[in-house]
Amino acid sequence: MKKMIINRLGLLIFVVFGVTLISFLLSHVIPGDPARMMVGQRANEETLQQVRQQLGLDQPLLIQYETYMKGILSGDLGTSIRTQKPVIDDLEAFFPATMELAIIAFIFALVIGIPLGVLAAVKKNSFWDHASRIFSIGGVSTPVFWSGLVIILIFYGYLNWFPANGRLDMNIHPPTHITGLYIVDSLLSGDMVALKSSLHHILLPAIVLSYAQLAVITRQVRASMLEIMEQEYIRTAIANGIHGPFLFFRYALRNALIPTITVVGISFGSLLGGAVVTETIFGWPGMGKYVVDSIAYLDFPAMMGFTLLIAVGYVIINLIVDLTYYVLDPQIKG
Amino acid sequence: METPLQTEMSRPKPITPVRPFWYKLKQNQMTWIGLGILGVIVLCSLIAPILTPYNPTQVDISQKFLGPSLHHWFGTDEVGRDILTRILYGARISLGVGITVIIMASIIGILIGTISGYFGGVIDVIIMRIMDMVMAFPTLILAMALAAALGPSLQNAMLAIAIVKIPVYVRLARGESLVLREKLFVKSAQSFGINPWRIIGKHIVPNSVSPVIIQATLDVGDAILMIATLGFLGLGAQPPTPEWGAMISIGWKYLLDYWWYPTFPGLFLFLSAGSLNLIGDGIRDILDPKTGR
Repeated sequence: MKKMIINRLGLLIFVVFGVTLISFLLSHVIPGDPARMMVGQRANEETLQQVRQQLGLDQPLLIQYETYMKGILSGDLGTSIRTQKPVIDDLEAFFPATMELAIIAFIFALVIGIPLGVLAAVKKNSFWDHASRIFSIGGVSTPVFWSGLVIILIFYGYLNWFPANGRLDMNIHPPTHITGLYIVDSLLSGDMVALKSSLHHILLPAIVLSYAQLAVITRQVRASMLEIMEQEYIRTAIANGIHGPFLFFRYALRNALIPTITVVGISFGSLLGGAVVTETIFGWPGMGKYVVDSIAYLDFPAMMGFTLLIAVGYVIINLIVDLTYYVLDPQIKG
Repeated sequence: METPLQTEMSRPKPITPVRPFWYKLKQNQMTWIGLGILGVIVLCSLIAPILTPYNPTQVDISQKFLGPSLHHWFGTDEVGRDILTRILYGARISLGVGITVIIMASIIGILIGTISGYFGGVIDVIIMRIMDMVMAFPTLILAMALAAALGPSLQNAMLAIAIVKIPVYVRLARGESLVLREKLFVKSAQSFGINPWRIIGKHIVPNSVSPVIIQATLDVGDAILMIATLGFLGLGAQPPTPEWGAMISIGWKYLLDYWWYPTFPGLFLFLSAGSLNLIGDGIRDILDPKTGR
């Protein structure tokens, strides 16, 4: 077990190094003229030269990479062209909103996806199975920006049941800053007004964001449940008179969840991709909206800082997922 | 006295064995629904000039924001272009680009993967570690960053998506060629001193194609959604190209007043990706007994 963790950590360092190498290539080598990218299209030749010198773009690539790595290691991701603030500060400010949305969406995906997958497997080839199949194929085929628009049109445009912009009503003050997650903060500080408003605001974007992941999780749970139900120990359990939900959840699901966890890690990555679009549609003030706003300004440091941060976060999440996998499956322990 | 050839020819024909693939495909209604929807969309986009009297890029301000009617089934946009016409012409772009991207990614993936698996050693280690690095990024986010670095255009968005899709195919093809290089027919080809590139081209690549094709079928729908997403974010096709994502990108600002503008291109995006996923899902079910259909 210990050896495995050390191995994985070694791999983590290597992959993080690779990620910085790719984002270096993306920001310094692939664009024809990175200085032009960084100052924008309207800058004159003089500022351009100045920026080139300032950023060391006249230096050999290896030296540029060294400077770039030194910056990253000291937490410097450059300065945003749009906000004129250090990218790392911007990302820090927008990080909690994205995390809150992603966590709630993830909870939805698990809480709905797992029982739905079990249902589909238990009632294989029944109406429920087909319905869950159509539902999940819909999930992986619906562009997030479109499902977001349709939901806004119905629940905000026609019914006016839910707001479609921001994290809180305009006239409500954010709860005292503790974690930056409004739901948690308002619970901790007992601010029920803010809690109600933030729950009200997060519901639609979280549903939209969770749909695709929900679909993937449902399919995976169904497939592994079907495989597990064929196993000898389940047959023995049935022969011993165990049946119904107790059999499915206590006996089968526990083992069926192990392969699901691997899928969960990957789906968290696409959740982050989906968050970019969902935040834009719902005016959710998170990192995703920040980066999309940056695209319009060709704000390169902001975009690359975000990419780097997300990639490193994704690598760490996958590491955690792998570790849980080893913890949960006693056969691999050792 | 018959010649051996005549004997051969006069024998009764063997009973055609039931081909499991076609038999199962016939049973799989979902796949047929998918093929049907996709077929209609493809056909309509091909004969679009016959189906619609309008031009997809012709501006006519006097006709702007007309709601769905008999003349304009899906309404018109902010400069008076017929939305149905733009959707039909846009299908050529969205579907064409989705398929092209996956073909590009899978061909490059097969080549790199078979080389990596066949030669092994240092080449294999280097190639696979580079693939690990690319796979460390969430796909959509890497595609966004790549498209932004290359500069926003449809070609660059295609290139970006192809690049992020390559590692999956490399892994598949490598896995196959690791098995194949130990097979007797490859060993005997080697013992004849045949050039390794010729072995890869003649023996390894053709034999590792099938899992790649299954993966590719499953990926086309995803590629179409990614192209549209990049278009929506302003990193793909640029206006006035009637690409679905780019249409929604402009249309969603008018959502509450002119609901039809972003809704219909999105519906077609959903139908295309959905039908491709139904087809892909069906093919996988048929070829992979584990999913239990």
